[in-house]
Amino acid sequence: METSRRDLMGLAIGGLGAVGVLGVLYPIVKTLAPSAASLAGATVEVDVNSISEGQVRVVSWKGKPVFVVRLPQGFQWNGKTKEDRNRKLLQGQDAYAMVAVCTHLGCVPLWKPQGEAEYNYPVFHCPCHGGFYSPWGDNIAGPPPRPLYIPPQKREGNKLVIGEPGFIKELT
Amino acid sequence: MLSRIGRWIDERAHLSDLWRSQMVDYKVPKNLTFPYVFGVFALVAFAIQIISGIFLTMYYQPNVHTAFDSANYTIMKEVPFMWLIRHVHAAGANFFLAVVYLHIFTGIYYNAYKKPRELTWIVGWVIYFVLLVTALTGYLLPWGQLSYWGMVVTAEIPTAIDSAPIIGKLKIGETVSIWMKGGYEIGQITLGRFFGLHIWLLPLILLVLVGIHLYLVRAAGISNPEGREIDKKKEGVPFHPYMTLKEGAYVMGYLAVFFFFVFFYMHHFLPPDNYDPADPFKTPAHIAPEWYLLAYYTIFRSIPDKFLGFVAFNLTLVFLLILPFLDFSPIKSARNRPLFFIMFIILVISSMALTILGTMPPTPTNAMLGLIFTAGLFAFFLSLPIISIIEWGWYKAKGGDKQ
Amino acid sequence: MIKTVFFTVITLVFFYIIWINNIFAPHERYEMPAQYAKIADDVKSYAKEGKQLFEQNCQSCHSVRYDAVYIASVQANPKLKTLQEKYGKVLPRNVYESVFHEDLMSLKESFGKVPPDLSTIYIVKGKEYLYNFILDPQKVLPGTSMPAVMTGRPEETAKIIAYLKSVAEPSPEEKGKRVLMGVGTIAYLIVMGVLLWIYRGRILKRMGLH
Repeated sequence: METSRRDLMGLAIGGLGAVGVLGVLYPIVKTLAPSAASLAGATVEVDVNSISEGQVRVVSWKGKPVFVVRLPQGFQWNGKTKEDRNRKLLQGQDAYAMVAVCTHLGCVPLWKPQGEAEYNYPVFHCPCHGGFYSPWGDNIAGPPPRPLYIPPQKREGNKLVIGEPGFIKELT
Repeated sequence: MLSRIGRWIDERAHLSDLWRSQMVDYKVPKNLTFPYVFGVFALVAFAIQIISGIFLTMYYQPNVHTAFDSANYTIMKEVPFMWLIRHVHAAGANFFLAVVYLHIFTGIYYNAYKKPRELTWIVGWVIYFVLLVTALTGYLLPWGQLSYWGMVVTAEIPTAIDSAPIIGKLKIGETVSIWMKGGYEIGQITLGRFFGLHIWLLPLILLVLVGIHLYLVRAAGISNPEGREIDKKKEGVPFHPYMTLKEGAYVMGYLAVFFFFVFFYMHHFLPPDNYDPADPFKTPAHIAPEWYLLAYYTIFRSIPDKFLGFVAFNLTLVFLLILPFLDFSPIKSARNRPLFFIMFIILVISSMALTILGTMPPTPTNAMLGLIFTAGLFAFFLSLPIISIIEWGWYKAKGGDKQ
Repeated sequence: MIKTVFFTVITLVFFYIIWINNIFAPHERYEMPAQYAKIADDVKSYAKEGKQLFEQNCQSCHSVRYDAVYIASVQANPKLKTLQEKYGKVLPRNVYESVFHEDLMSLKESFGKVPPDLSTIYIVKGKEYLYNFILDPQKVLPGTSMPAVMTGRPEETAKIIAYLKSVAEPSPEEKGKRVLMGVGTIAYLIVMGVLLWIYRGRILKRMGLH
């Protein structure tokens, strides 16, 4: 009788001890979680009207550079691309955002509205290893294996809100 | 499954043998009183400071422009739960010193500094001194008004040497003061070096010293409240579970008190005036060292002559160090020494009074009281050789070693 | 027994004086009418209005950097937004002070020193001091260069103080969570202590050592 009571106590103390250890570890581990400030950086708002037509602005979203493209009215583009995933996703949008990281080895491509090399229409050109993308980020030529990534985004009047699901629901 | 892993490790590391020899076969007397736990509390406090300090180092910035904001914005408001770790570290520093003082006074009461434990005492004194420096360097880091001006005052104290006759001309004090600060003022150099000392060098030194201290405690055996060495075979009880569980329960009580302050009463440990960013052009109305240094501060400013005041408070530290040699009586423990007991009470009352006086403004009355209690403090140390001689007489009269 | 009681009591009294309530070294106390004290404490109801009042009456000279509120001339400066994109809402102090050096120096010329940032002032001074100081600066700090901008407006002053409290202190919900954490932790430790004590008692009895 006595032995079993002592063992029960021993078990209780051991169990509570484990709870205590977890209780100490919990706040310590939680300090690793993102702070409220960086969580706030998870969405970025851009006023589309502040970008001239046909221009591209680079903003920071979640620590990454992001292109915000504003297409001119009645924009036509007849170049050939290896894929057209992005063009389909971004159809009908006059402004949109794309992650400005080349899908080859991670450099930031440059917007060339006057064209570049053998392309005499607007393209993105990555100077590191000669990758080319369409204005919608679809890969045209060079080493990039796939189109640029598109972050979740939505349009609220003149504002493009990057980071919140809208016409693009999640990161491609 | 767990026990199989345990057995695998034990066959190779022989940990259960180590446990048995150090914790179960190791015998201690049954009559150890509650104050014997203060050493364990100090160890727990040390561990808490190290762990909380490690996490604070990740977010604190040792730069004069960003230090205050890193502590009061990034740590207190931005990173989740870091406010709790800062509370633990600030309260912990005060609890660490409180418990160390209680441990020291316990050792004095039971004469735990006497043969064969003089070395343990000396190493303990060095730990105490390094701990005070650790606390001082740490307090500068938040770069609040109290941090900054407290250090200005502290760095001025060595200049008291320069008001001495003859050797004052050498300007040693000013040199030491400039050396401490890394220049004529407290700035980035001071902050950078105090940061390095506080997070690295001093904790490592403390770890080594505490290790040596613990080894010496075991090597010489734990002292006894009755002042006589026990016959381990006949009277001792196994350290585990007799002492470990008792001290474990006491540690839970200690932590309960500690966390009460951490969650509900940080007013003294995070003083409001230190939430004011350091301003070299604006001295706060009340500036004094932290409570653990106030007794020395009171001694220093109670004596009209600056140099003598400096000598006096340093003498206190020296007396503390050479205590085993000042008190050479063959009788151990205040329980058996009525004269020593009376002087011990004078020591305790004087130390407490000097500390409290340090929080009060320096009026002439307070200066007089400061002198009186400084005298009380010195009386304790100076009485020890006299009491020792008297007690040698009694000891010999009763038959000396044949007792 | 007497010795134990004596030493325990003086130790507890000593730490009570040093850490909790030093009856020998009282600090100045300021008074504040109860109705305004209630407003100043009620962060939930008045902090928002208090912030607007702050922007109207105080922001021309004082910043509240922890709430990303900068002095009015800086707040209107387009450079601020660019800097915030790079450094975050709360600019590092040396960045703020160097980029907007001229704005801050012109304040220094008018007032003799740069009016202090008020992010933590509520903790440093407390609501009673702030109430008295804001309503009549010369009475609390004779010779101060702070002008009496809120004369005859005690209720609005109280609301501004509520705003300052909301910046310096954690929100009431957060405070509630911390109280729960504290109670839980202390209760846990007491239970563990008691359990260990009883457990030990049982083991020792069995070993015949008690």
